[in-house]
Amino acid sequence: MNRSLIVYILKRMAYAVPTILGLLVLVFVISRVIPSDPAALVAGEMATPQQVEELRKQYRFDEPLHVQLGLYLKSLAQGDMGKSLYTGRKVFDDIVDRFPATLELTLVAMGLSIIIGVPLGILAALRRNSLLDHLLRGVTVAGLAIASFWLGIMLQLFFSMWLGFMPLGGRIGSGVEPPASITGMLLVDSILTLNGPALWSSFVHMILPALTLAFASFATITRFTRSGVLDVVQQDFITYVRAMGLPPRVIVYKYVLRNAIIATVTQIGLLFGLLLAGTVVIETVFDWPGLGLYAFNAIVLSDYQAILGVTLWAGIAYVTVNLLVDIGLSLIDPRKAET
Amino acid sequence: MNGVGLAWKKFTRDRLAFVGFLIILALVLAALFAPVLAPYPDDTFLIHPAQRLQPPSAEHLLGTDSMGRDILSRLLFGTRVTLVIAGIAVGASLLIGVPLGLLAGYFENIFSEGIMRVADIFLSIPQVILAIFLAQSFRPSIRSVILALSITYWPWFTRIVYAETRALKKRAFLEATEAVGAGSIRTILLHVLPNVSSSIIVRSSIGMGFTILTAATLGFLGVGAQPPTPEWGVTIAESRQFLPDAWWYATFPGLAIFIVVMGFNMLGDGLRDILDPRIRRGFD
Amino acid sequence: MEERGPSGKNSGKGFTRRDFIKTVGIGSLAISGLPFRPSGVQAADSTRYIWGGPSEFQSMDPHAIYDVTSENLRLNLYDHLYRYLDNPPKIHPWLAESYTVSDDERTWTFQLRKGAKFHNGDEVTAEAVKYSMERLLALGKGASALFKPVIDPEGIKVADRYTIAFNLKEPYAPFLSIMPTFCIVNPKVLEGKPGPWGSEWLSQNDAGSGAYVLEEYTPGVGWKGKRFKDHWMGWEGKHVDAIEFRTIHETASRVMALMKGDVHGCDGYLPVEQIAKLEKADDITVYEEQSMRVCLIRMHNQRPPFNDVHVRRAISYAFDYDSFNNEILKGRVARNPGPIPNNMWGAPADLKGYSFDLEKAKAELAKAAVKVDRPLNIHPMTGYSQTDDAALILQAGLRQIGVEVNIIRETWPTLSGKAKAMDTSPDMWIHWVSTYYADPENWIGEMYSSSRWGAWKASSWYKNPEVDALLDKARTISDHATRKDLYEKASRIVVDDAADIWIYNTKWYGPHRKSVKNLRFCPVGDGQECRWIHLA
Repeated sequence: MNRSLIVYILKRMAYAVPTILGLLVLVFVISRVIPSDPAALVAGEMATPQQVEELRKQYRFDEPLHVQLGLYLKSLAQGDMGKSLYTGRKVFDDIVDRFPATLELTLVAMGLSIIIGVPLGILAALRRNSLLDHLLRGVTVAGLAIASFWLGIMLQLFFSMWLGFMPLGGRIGSGVEPPASITGMLLVDSILTLNGPALWSSFVHMILPALTLAFASFATITRFTRSGVLDVVQQDFITYVRAMGLPPRVIVYKYVLRNAIIATVTQIGLLFGLLLAGTVVIETVFDWPGLGLYAFNAIVLSDYQAILGVTLWAGIAYVTVNLLVDIGLSLIDPRKAET
Repeated sequence: MNGVGLAWKKFTRDRLAFVGFLIILALVLAALFAPVLAPYPDDTFLIHPAQRLQPPSAEHLLGTDSMGRDILSRLLFGTRVTLVIAGIAVGASLLIGVPLGLLAGYFENIFSEGIMRVADIFLSIPQVILAIFLAQSFRPSIRSVILALSITYWPWFTRIVYAETRALKKRAFLEATEAVGAGSIRTILLHVLPNVSSSIIVRSSIGMGFTILTAATLGFLGVGAQPPTPEWGVTIAESRQFLPDAWWYATFPGLAIFIVVMGFNMLGDGLRDILDPRIRRGFD
Repeated sequence: MEERGPSGKNSGKGFTRRDFIKTVGIGSLAISGLPFRPSGVQAADSTRYIWGGPSEFQSMDPHAIYDVTSENLRLNLYDHLYRYLDNPPKIHPWLAESYTVSDDERTWTFQLRKGAKFHNGDEVTAEAVKYSMERLLALGKGASALFKPVIDPEGIKVADRYTIAFNLKEPYAPFLSIMPTFCIVNPKVLEGKPGPWGSEWLSQNDAGSGAYVLEEYTPGVGWKGKRFKDHWMGWEGKHVDAIEFRTIHETASRVMALMKGDVHGCDGYLPVEQIAKLEKADDITVYEEQSMRVCLIRMHNQRPPFNDVHVRRAISYAFDYDSFNNEILKGRVARNPGPIPNNMWGAPADLKGYSFDLEKAKAELAKAAVKVDRPLNIHPMTGYSQTDDAALILQAGLRQIGVEVNIIRETWPTLSGKAKAMDTSPDMWIHWVSTYYADPENWIGEMYSSSRWGAWKASSWYKNPEVDALLDKARTISDHATRKDLYEKASRIVVDDAADIWIYNTKWYGPHRKSVKNLRFCPVGDGQECRWIHLA
């Protein structure tokens, strides 16, 4: 690890900090400036005028904005995102509780889309303008046009309701005891505790939601891998290497694959954002008890604090993932750090 | 053959883009002529409980919904809702995002940094989630959905215009114009803008597709459009409790969304090919 | 199903034993058409009864909420002095063995049975009953609205360890009938717990003596209970050792869960098509019982334009009752033109009420002094599709007389909460009034006495001194014939005033798996009492 790399990493981390601060401020501004009565919104529909007044004093909504901003940042630093109307608990606790479910789903979906998308993207690039390429182009364009909630419902309709061999929703069968909670991710916990029935049940319940969630991101990954590989294949040095007599397989594995991986890793950040957004509807459709379903219930109940909490969390997670991806990229390909 | 004719020929030859164009044309015509095309135009507000949940038939080509309303007619009227929401949202994002991108790209001062940072901040929250948050802050209604979508989409325009403007700046001819004494604003409007316009057009088309999906998602989640508005996402949400028996109720609105978004995506891709083949494919 | 190696690739090693097992396994999965469960729900859980419903549980505190959703916790985790059983509902001694009432109907004395235990082993005494009533009144939530007008804390007297006397503020004939809404909690458990009267703690915990003990409560998801072996009633015959009440918002998910066997029973608030489908299913029984539950659309009588009787009548004539009852609900309900269910005494037999008549609606609107100058808001309830349908039908009808309606869907907890204060109470909302106790007071008394404002049942904010007088009198007299007369008279006035829009009286539908045996339905409690059932 040379010095310029370390400098790059530090610079990149430093860049992330104002971005996160910025999104905290953005959320703050939206929550205080836009609503006509922030106190009423936070108190919820059920509150009496008296309760709204109490809340207004408690959160100091009447004070000047910069004072409120200071209080807001201070409470966030302490992990206080307010209370959820829906569960009656602290929003922060709710988010921490539900995070593993969403994380598990997102990771599996991302894994699926990479495992399917990257090889297909490479193949499509290497066999440019072949039938496979055109077919893939069609599928990926379609993939970007399908509403994921509709796809989920259609899969449910077909596989769960008509054919009957997929569960309709939930994380695990209701007759099955969930594994002891270590990470909160059922697949991982089932493996760690060697719990066969739980592992199978969680796996089966994961299939449809993960496939649905993966579908749109698979389309993106395939496209980007394809263009990333095309770039490489068209570069002069490949012709040179070929001319040198290296067998094509070596070329593919060494250079093409490496660039494809770089192209993919570049996309992981963007993908994560898409997947995060997708979990809101997918969890709603499949009754998956994660942050997306939490957000949906918060919408139904007008639970403003909860929605604010999820928005903040989503932004912070997204920025963090992008940061990690950039750092990871610079480690794989130090040349990136110098651009 | 002149330039326009050449472009048109190229356009029609790119089958994908041409099909996209036809789809969009059909969409616009459907929206304009919905009252004439729909077999039961009053089903946007009339109800016929006696014909509740009927499968596709000769009288109702796509079946009826929970209130006995003709799904085909409601889908046709839904094109209006869709176009209005997406059109205004993309238009507004364009009006906000393009000038900001031009300014940030052309000038190299602290304001450009600032604008791009703000854009980054907006983009740091996944669009659907930010849109939900905005809509809930406003008070859910169609108007707040449009507002929310505009506020979340402008950074895309800014980014692309910024990148293009900076690329242009690297080329000598801009310096030449400045040397001649043309003012900055003049230069931007007369020289920069025309050159970035192709990116803007492509971005708008893709943006329409993306925004339509997001709007349908918001409708599905219950943010924004309320009954009896025939919005496609709302219809799919309504249909869920009647599955699997009333399969037509969920299937057709989703197909409508698919076809329309496909159309905009294909058109965008095609326009990209025609207007500037140098723009990298897959760069979204 | 084609026999194909699991990865589709030919590794060149031939079809190994592992491949065979995988293929057959996956193949049989598809062929059998059943989700592969190592232990089927029935076999592993023959002692756990699971029920799915659309609403969330807001709190486990029996004194905090008073609705149908929470009946299951009140009936299973707690006991009352008297309880209703069976259909038609009959009141039975429960924690109390007997009662006496003074001649002036003002002092009610209850004799408790000896040896009844709370879940932690403490005995149920008159002190506990006193504490429970004081707590209910002090917290001012839930069923306190029934008791506050008739009793003060000072009026509760402990005569001895097993005898408790209630000295009412004024004579109240239905006092015994409301006893089944009052749960007994253990004061010793609540001592020192956070919140006024330990309410913050009790919202997530258990202080009862009922047949089941709370094991686990997850807000928004549901709760689980296990059998209380030392319950005073004892356990004869077969029972379920564990019960679970789950929230499943989506109708399709609830129905599928029932059909798959993931739950053993669910609510009957389903679209009629789903009920018909369940009736045809092989392993499902849809119990049908004559019930007393009125469905109505409430109107905020104190808020313009609803404060004009002509406007209210116009709206009443603009709802297509036949369409709703016969087409949407396929005739499974009976038109009920007034607030009291037709099959309950006190409902006038010849009451005509309103019908769908746009001409009459327009005529009434023309007579109105208050103009309808804004869209009216109607709030259906999330998870109850019938309320969506009713809202759409009213909207369509009112459109034809030039009145615009906004539909705003909200959850039951939100709406019932909003309905407590006049300012936040909705313009119009749609709900049911079930049998909490078998007396007309449960309907017309609680709904249309101005003294009951602040309870969700009284969210029409109706005030008519003549009706108030009739209802007050009916409360204090115990002669059945006189009470019947008074309630009938009050019904006629309330209907003439078009205080609300009464739509139907329903049967109770209880979809359950055939494995559920000995379900004992009572309109009070909606068949959610679990101690009688066992799973085959």
